Amino acid sequence: MKIKALLIILGISLSYCFVYAQKKEFKFGKISPEEFELKASGQDSAAAALKIFDIGNCYFEYTIGSGWVYVYERHIRYKVLNKSGYDLANYKINLYRSSNSAKEDLNNMEAATYNMVDGKMITSKIGKDAKFSEEFNKKFTIKKFTLPNVKEGSILEYKYKIKSDFIFNLRGFSFQSDIPTLYTEYNVSIPEYFVYKSNFTGYLDVKRTKHEQVNAHYLAGLTSAATLDQFVLENVPALKDEAYITTLDDYRPTIDFELQGTRFPGEAFKDFNGTWPKLIDGLSTDENFGAYITKNSTAKTLLPTILKGEKDTAIVTKLIFDYVKNNIKWNDEYSFYATSTNPKTIFEKKSGSSGDINLCLLNLLKEAKVTAYPVLISTRENGVHPGNPIISKFNNVIALVNMNNKQVLLDATDKDLPMGMIHYDNLSHQGFVTNLTTKTGNWITTEPSVATEKIYNYFLTLDKENKLNGNLSLYSKGYSALNLRNRYRTTNNEAEFLKNYKKDKTGLEIKNYKVVNLDSLDALLTESFNIAIEDNVEEAGNLVYFTPLLFERTKENMFKHEERLFPVDFAYPLKESFRITVNFPEEYEIDKLPKGGAFKIPDNRGSFIISYVSEGKSLLVKSVIEINKSFYTPEEYFHLKELFKAIVQKQAEQIVFKKKA
Amino acid sequence: MRTLFIALLFSGVFLSVKAQSNYDATKIPESLLKDAVAVVRNEEQSFELKSIGAGKVDYKIAITILNKAGDDFAEMAEVYDKFSNIYNIKATLYDASGKKVKEYKTADIRDQSLISDYSIFEDNRLKHLKFYSTFYPYTIEYSYTQDFRGILSIPSWRAVKGYGISTEKSAYNLSKNAGINIKFLTSKGLVTDSAKVGDKTLYKWSSTNAPAIVKEPLSVGIENIIDWVKVSPNQFEYDNTTGNFDNWKNFGAWMHKLNENANTLPPATKLQVQHLIKDAKNPKEKISKLYNYLQQNTRYVSVQLGIGGFKPILAEKVAQVNYGDCKALSNYMKALLNEAGIKSNLIVIGNGMPGLNPNYASMGQANHMILAVPLANDTTFLECTSQYNPMGFIGHDNADRNVLMITEDGGRIVRTPIYNAKDNYQRRKTNVLFSEDGNATIAIKSIYANAQFEDNMQMLLIEPTEQRKRINEGNNIPASELTSFKFEQPDKALPIMNEELKFKTNQLLTKGGDKAFLTVNLTNRRESVPAKIDNRKTHFAVSFSYEDEDEIIYSLPKGYSIEFLPKDVNIASEFGSYSAKFSSKENQIVYTRVQNMTAKSFPPEKYNEYVEFNKKIVAADKLKAVLTKAE
Repeated sequence: MKIKALLIILGISLSYCFVYAQKKEFKFGKISPEEFELKASGQDSAAAALKIFDIGNCYFEYTIGSGWVYVYERHIRYKVLNKSGYDLANYKINLYRSSNSAKEDLNNMEAATYNMVDGKMITSKIGKDAKFSEEFNKKFTIKKFTLPNVKEGSILEYKYKIKSDFIFNLRGFSFQSDIPTLYTEYNVSIPEYFVYKSNFTGYLDVKRTKHEQVNAHYLAGLTSAATLDQFVLENVPALKDEAYITTLDDYRPTIDFELQGTRFPGEAFKDFNGTWPKLIDGLSTDENFGAYITKNSTAKTLLPTILKGEKDTAIVTKLIFDYVKNNIKWNDEYSFYATSTNPKTIFEKKSGSSGDINLCLLNLLKEAKVTAYPVLISTRENGVHPGNPIISKFNNVIALVNMNNKQVLLDATDKDLPMGMIHYDNLSHQGFVTNLTTKTGNWITTEPSVATEKIYNYFLTLDKENKLNGNLSLYSKGYSALNLRNRYRTTNNEAEFLKNYKKDKTGLEIKNYKVVNLDSLDALLTESFNIAIEDNVEEAGNLVYFTPLLFERTKENMFKHEERLFPVDFAYPLKESFRITVNFPEEYEIDKLPKGGAFKIPDNRGSFIISYVSEGKSLLVKSVIEINKSFYTPEEYFHLKELFKAIVQKQAEQIVFKKKA
Repeated sequence: MRTLFIALLFSGVFLSVKAQSNYDATKIPESLLKDAVAVVRNEEQSFELKSIGAGKVDYKIAITILNKAGDDFAEMAEVYDKFSNIYNIKATLYDASGKKVKEYKTADIRDQSLISDYSIFEDNRLKHLKFYSTFYPYTIEYSYTQDFRGILSIPSWRAVKGYGISTEKSAYNLSKNAGINIKFLTSKGLVTDSAKVGDKTLYKWSSTNAPAIVKEPLSVGIENIIDWVKVSPNQFEYDNTTGNFDNWKNFGAWMHKLNENANTLPPATKLQVQHLIKDAKNPKEKISKLYNYLQQNTRYVSVQLGIGGFKPILAEKVAQVNYGDCKALSNYMKALLNEAGIKSNLIVIGNGMPGLNPNYASMGQANHMILAVPLANDTTFLECTSQYNPMGFIGHDNADRNVLMITEDGGRIVRTPIYNAKDNYQRRKTNVLFSEDGNATIAIKSIYANAQFEDNMQMLLIEPTEQRKRINEGNNIPASELTSFKFEQPDKALPIMNEELKFKTNQLLTKGGDKAFLTVNLTNRRESVPAKIDNRKTHFAVSFSYEDEDEIIYSLPKGYSIEFLPKDVNIASEFGSYSAKFSSKENQIVYTRVQNMTAKSFPPEKYNEYVEFNKKIVAADKLKAVLTKAE
């Protein structure tokens, strides 16, 4: 495993860090002279800054009257190595509030800059006028801090405490950031009255260095027990972004906590959502979820006009799906709960979150007696769901119906989504389908059932002025079709759309553009036009030559980097089929055709085939690229890179004609 | 047509006519649908200037959204701050026929902070409402009232809201009480109606049936084709200051006053200055030492609150915390220079904006502050917010424009230095060495200067792993492997950067039958041409003048001979010049290319000529040599 190897590199700091791990002393303002000598090394040797340590503490407090809160302490020390690290001198904390009694408060913020000047450490504490509070909106406040006297070599330090009423989810802790970190530690102390599920994500192994029972005092005069866990990660390299991933957070070592149940003295253990059945049980009665789906007064009034007596389940499903798509506009926000308690609100408002829309869909389906199930999703941006019953790791919901003995996913957030296709963001490979009646659920694949393909079909004649004239037909399927429909509809008009189409296609002129099935989502989306192409066939002496893939040539390998740490996630498999027929003048002769070829990734995980045929004064070139998986491991990256290397090379080959003297 | 319309209406102009709100989308004139995604059906903006420090806006707009592409216009986003408040908001959604679908409630309107991404804190806030509809067309309508306590500027007006949106009717009514002086600028041909009613003077501008404007490449703006008005007070009162904008001299005097007594340095900093300059031989050297000190010890932090948006924090405070915004850092640098006995002046500048209009002094023409140090023979301009700019280099967004110099005698319009094509050069020398098996090693050395330095200097600041990534992403040499790279700025005092890249590839020659093709321009190809436009309306310009020089020497693989070498190309035009030369000797191909472009602004009718010029360059840049392998 490569990552582990990388960890060894921070040579100098290792011994230093050892000292920290030994002493475990993190006192605000107590900086040792060696810390001013710290440098980054190894792969991060040019890092803008170092995180010397990042210590988190999480524990609970109880106040009679207002109840339980948890306290989240953070103590961070940075070393600024160059000017690009100055951003660390501005610090932000987001605080949430849902009401006056349910909120997060920042209790304490100590912050300072330390500089070594002529062998003496100068401390500059943050001033009152360098602390700001931005009331972002009713729910969020952003506390902002800016430190004085920051130079290359400065040490920066922040220490603060947040008290939060939201004990369902404890603030997470990440052990890796975009700069190298020497030492991170998170201590969580959970009272005996609470049971939390913890969840790790990320590509590095965080060590649990403590797991012990300790005494705690929540109420005066009463000694309670608590479980203290300590998690440590040392010498962590900087985390760097890569293309074609879901979200970088999927690879960042992070721990989260979600409340499973309570066990108060004299009460039985109250399990909120310790198991899937428990979790689904909770959802089934939730006024923003299960109860929302069953609230049928609006559905009763709406259905007769939607269905007009239709009884066939498949048609009923489609009518309802279309009705929801056409009547509620998505506000670009994700949620798996409805934002109100009655579908009526949303049907009146005519807009809503993904949760509002798809739960309204489920609501109508239920009243129409169509069996349908909510499918919980964690979107690509939200990160891969860990798989165990953690509700807060979901952020979206779609619907599942059975049609002709096939399971079909429904997502009504976009008019252009046919049945069976879900929004791109939902393509995180799996969803959790819930049966609210039997209180059971299971993971299902959300891999697209509809293939994504783009087909180019050129039929051209080359004249003696080296101009190409003829027709082009384009066919788009699956996500290619969805993207095209979206592009077409969000462009001002067809003229503008064609202008954009021509933008990177020098020499192309278009006439008689036709698009067929723009609104028939289940039919093949087809574009056709007459085209004329100049400046693409070139002459050199008595040679005439051109690249037959014209504008569809893959010019660059999209996998340019030598190595890859994270999987390549395309979201859906795809295919690109290209075919061109060129009739050329009597006076031209093909000198020698390029060789065709087939390139494959083992186990049919991807392929590229190109072929050249000529007969009389006609030439046929075909090129087919197939990416058969939506997801490739870092080990498979090399195969992808080689495949695209072959594509770039072969597609660049020229057809050469010799002119008869 | 418009003139006639206004003439007809003139008598009734200032009567408040109860407008009938019929938003039937089928009633939109055909001419307004062309190129439009949305149509402003009616806009009424009224501003009442009650005193030099108080005013009120009444605003109402109705927009029909024609298709999905127009959804972005279905929004209310109105800004206020602690010197103004927005109230009386009403918002309604109508269907295609103009039937009311829904009225929005106060709870639907979101209130949120609005802080520029470069700032840590500002007091601007936003009243925001997004309208949603699944059917097209639909019409949105909203209105509000806004009171201002403190006036620095008076709302301007544009009949056209942006690209792709036409306007059926839009009007601006301005009234001012007696004794207040204002001034205004209007677009060419726009009629100003004015009347005196009692103590008040009333002005009215309006526009009808303004067609939608299509975004045009390289456009320098749409001001020459739409109706607009800019208004400014001559005297004002804001956040406990008063001032006078009669002319730039007075504007400058006000700024000077705001900066008065902000120049004191603490004793320690004074000592530091004396220490830094003690060995400096001349003023230039002193400036250099102090500018370097500024860059090493301060950073940019922006906080804009009330008058603090115009008044710098004290030099004394900057000395204590070592950060500040453009005003604070410029003023601090001024104080450092002052301590060294060098006089300097603050400069109010529109970074990336058109220069100041010398005949119309107002707020809103500038967004930035730099410092000018006038010496006997020349003036050095200092960008004080950059930790990296070489001394005197202010970047192309600050260059060549009218700016306001703040002096003890008030403001004076001066011009910042210009960077010509010859200054903004990129010089690139490349050696390509083929081995017998067709593999090639490529060594590219480039020098970037001034504006091109600025475009590339980011490379000097990032980590090697990032540098490698960016080179790989920007590189279009087929199947190449980056074997080494280096970036350096040999002299920190000069805006010049060197870059050295080495690649290996086996795909430089593309096959075609038994021939090998070599696209001779490997290092600086223009591959796309801006789209042709019929009947272009706006002027155009490239963002800065520049000159690119490329030289490539290919040492061909053994056994290959040159079957064909392209002919030299020379293209001259008023937009710039281009030449490409191809020559061969023994087994070498030598290629040189020079492109020199001017950033001058050209009238719309020249545009298609510009496209042709680029088309020729694209054709010349992809010329190929043909090689044959000896049997």
